Amino acid sequence: MKPIVELMDVVKEFPLGKVTVRALRGVSLQIGRGEFVAIAGPSGSGKTTLLNQVGCVDTPTRGTVRIDGQSTSELAESALTKLRLHKLGFIFQTFNLVPVLDLAQNVELPLLLKGGLTRGERDRRVREIVDQVGLTEQLGQRPNELSGGQRQRVAIARALVTGPNIVLADEPTANLDSATGEQILDLMERLNRDQETTFIFSTHDSRVMAHARRLVTLVDGKISSDEATEAAA
Amino acid sequence: MSGFARLQLLVYMALRSLWAHKVKSLIVGSLIGFGTMLFVLGTALLDSIEGAIERSVVHSLSGHLQVYSADGKDELAIFGDMTMGGADWGRIDDFAVIDEVISKVDNVEAVVPMGINTAYMTRGSDLERTLGRMREMVRAGQVADARALVPKVKRLVGLLDADLRNQLVIAGEDSAAELKEKLARAERAASDALWATFDSEPLSVLEFLDTRVAPLAGEGRVMFIRYVGTDLGRFAEHFDRLKVVRGEMVPDGRRGILINQKYADRVLKIAAARLLDDLAEAREASIPIEGTAELAAKARRLKTQGGAIELMLDPDDAEALALKLATLLGVETERNGEALDLGVLLELFLTVDDDNAIARHAFFYEQVAPLVDVYPFSVGDVVTIRAWTRNNALKAVNVRVWGTFVFEGLERSELTGAANLLDLMTFRELYGQMTATDRAELEAIRDEVGVEFVGRDNAEDALFGGGDSVEIDIGADDDFDAVAEADLKREKRTMAVSEEFDAEMNRKGLVLNAAIMLEDGDRIAESKAAIAAAAEAAGLKLKVVDWQEASGVLGQLALVVRVILYIAIFIIFAVALVIINNSMLMATMERVREIGTLRAIGAQRGFVMAMFLLETLVLGLIAGGLGALAGAGIVIWLGNVGIPAQNEIMVFIFSGNRLFPTVGAEHLGLGVIIILIVSLVSTWYPARMATRVEPIEAMRGAD
Repeated sequence: MKPIVELMDVVKEFPLGKVTVRALRGVSLQIGRGEFVAIAGPSGSGKTTLLNQVGCVDTPTRGTVRIDGQSTSELAESALTKLRLHKLGFIFQTFNLVPVLDLAQNVELPLLLKGGLTRGERDRRVREIVDQVGLTEQLGQRPNELSGGQRQRVAIARALVTGPNIVLADEPTANLDSATGEQILDLMERLNRDQETTFIFSTHDSRVMAHARRLVTLVDGKISSDEATEAAA
Repeated sequence: MSGFARLQLLVYMALRSLWAHKVKSLIVGSLIGFGTMLFVLGTALLDSIEGAIERSVVHSLSGHLQVYSADGKDELAIFGDMTMGGADWGRIDDFAVIDEVISKVDNVEAVVPMGINTAYMTRGSDLERTLGRMREMVRAGQVADARALVPKVKRLVGLLDADLRNQLVIAGEDSAAELKEKLARAERAASDALWATFDSEPLSVLEFLDTRVAPLAGEGRVMFIRYVGTDLGRFAEHFDRLKVVRGEMVPDGRRGILINQKYADRVLKIAAARLLDDLAEAREASIPIEGTAELAAKARRLKTQGGAIELMLDPDDAEALALKLATLLGVETERNGEALDLGVLLELFLTVDDDNAIARHAFFYEQVAPLVDVYPFSVGDVVTIRAWTRNNALKAVNVRVWGTFVFEGLERSELTGAANLLDLMTFRELYGQMTATDRAELEAIRDEVGVEFVGRDNAEDALFGGGDSVEIDIGADDDFDAVAEADLKREKRTMAVSEEFDAEMNRKGLVLNAAIMLEDGDRIAESKAAIAAAAEAAGLKLKVVDWQEASGVLGQLALVVRVILYIAIFIIFAVALVIINNSMLMATMERVREIGTLRAIGAQRGFVMAMFLLETLVLGLIAGGLGALAGAGIVIWLGNVGIPAQNEIMVFIFSGNRLFPTVGAEHLGLGVIIILIVSLVSTWYPARMATRVEPIEAMRGAD
């Protein structure tokens, strides 16, 4: 089967003052449909940079990133944005909900950006996904009325509402206590199974890694190991 | 479908976001609201004022358009300029021609001929006038009535006598002889010997006094007068603000002058009456006399006016008045056994302060005014108008005062109040347009009195170059008096008063300018062009100007105020612009993560741009809308109560004692457009900055 994400010899360099920081030093990686992958590694190992390449919010200095067969370096800004809208979902470390919108509106937002749906259809999809993350009762509440775990559930709902191929999560539990973090990971796992959506998340928490079925470890911008975990078994 | 939903969401986000930043929204909103209010209020007021000025100018003197000769060196100024009538507006040699051409142009209601000039007017000395009255009485067989005036004549002669004696004291050797001769005439006039013959030969006594004594008293008061020579019938028909308040309109085909009531009250009235008017008016408005330098000076001047009043009183009246004044003032009529002098009483009476000004004013008009001539002449009198013709000759014409008038609604305005209305034939004569008979007659007068013709070319030599054949002093000079006497004695001159002419004579002939009334006053520019084209096609060299240009500085007043207002509004909106720009830039920086997130989850740059623009736009429309409504509300309220005109210039500007402004949809519409522009311009840069935020910003961890 063709991989949904394909990185070939990806190098990413940032100028930092006079020196150039090489965040990724030639990473090659293939991820298939429906995988549940953790990217691990110490701080500064290039986890987030790798995720940004996959998430099309950044393009490589050298090498190729292909999302569903499409090379990101060849796309214009607006095309990349469109790609993100249609094929990707994002879950952020700091949740990043729009503060002035309520829960339902935050979840509905990507559907509105995508367009082409009636109000009824949008409402149905929002209800469905909010029900799946277990927040039906909080539907009309604003982000500041929700707990951290609830906010991240909203973010997950927002990421999944358009039915993306890939969901990217950058340290999704870093700002949550461990129990809540567990719940979020359980939810992500469940959704991954039910919807066959590819999940790629970065973390440096070993308990989180334990949920992944495949663990890619980065050290100094290079993949040091790429292995199936016990959970995969 | 979802495009609309997206817009709905953006508006919703904008509202929520504005609510979330209440203080910022409030500050920016007040600024926009205030600016818009000022804009709506200001433009509505200005348009109302402009309309009012237009009504004042157009319907009092100028008409919608004015035409004058293209040969004129100066620009037409209907309401006067700095040249005191010396401006050169060229001339239109035959009004009938331009009337013919312009009347045919579409939208033209009427063409009214005009000629504006400044001249001076005399009405003889008190002595001369008293003698005149006596002569009329004698001719009417009322010798006894005439006799009653003898003490007054004696008193006036006595004053003349005293004046001559004073002159003799200070005069040098060479003029002493002349003065002594004059004094002899005055003494004879006062002598019992002369008056003893009055009953038997009243006319010869009066003749002597009239020709030999009265000239010694000089010309009497000289008054400057500005007049508009016009076809009075046509003028009255098309300038509907004209209203005759005393006397009657000059009948068609008759010569005559209509005096502006304002001019009569402000210029012609005796000083005591004018000063009392001013002081009483100030007190009605609760303005203190003491402490207002101008009023205090007037009060001081008023005190010295007793003598002038005393001179005008008949002896019987003087006695009666002295008693009334004594009662009013609560003083004894006798002091130390001597009767209190009327002069002293008048001075006490005219000593006005904050408390008694209004009462003294009333007493003056009830008790004093009927006994004296408050105005130098009354309706029906004949006055002499003297003007310098274009040839620098002095022309004198006697005209009858038919009445006084006001421009309705502008009664208090001194601008329109300065214009008097004269028949066109007299204007032409004073302008120096001469018929063949006039010319011959002038030659005869020149021969008779030995006055040389002084043209522009030799004026300097003749007037200042040692030649002593021409002197132009008024009053004092004998040569000049000779002209005046010659004038008065000639039956033809006095005939001018009763001379009649027909409408065609009025129409054919010289004017300086002409007012054009339009049927539709909103099509001024269009008609102006049409008239200019018609004039050119007919080969007429005419300048066509609209009422604003014709009224000189005055017409530009509204423009000046408008410029000031626009500058003020511009500054407010410029400040708003900077503040909005700054606060939106701050917002952009604060919301980098939010923007990055939106971009990451698939919002295009345009969405972010729209989000920011809409936010200011929504605020602008709400705050600006409220501001515009507030402004409109104020204008509507003012429109109901009216804005009072504080002074006479404002009466003119407001076209009445109160301005009732109106607000129109165009003011509100323009206000909204300005808000849109300001909102979009001020947010453009921050919004562009926001679109530059990279989606990667959403990935940065919490700092």
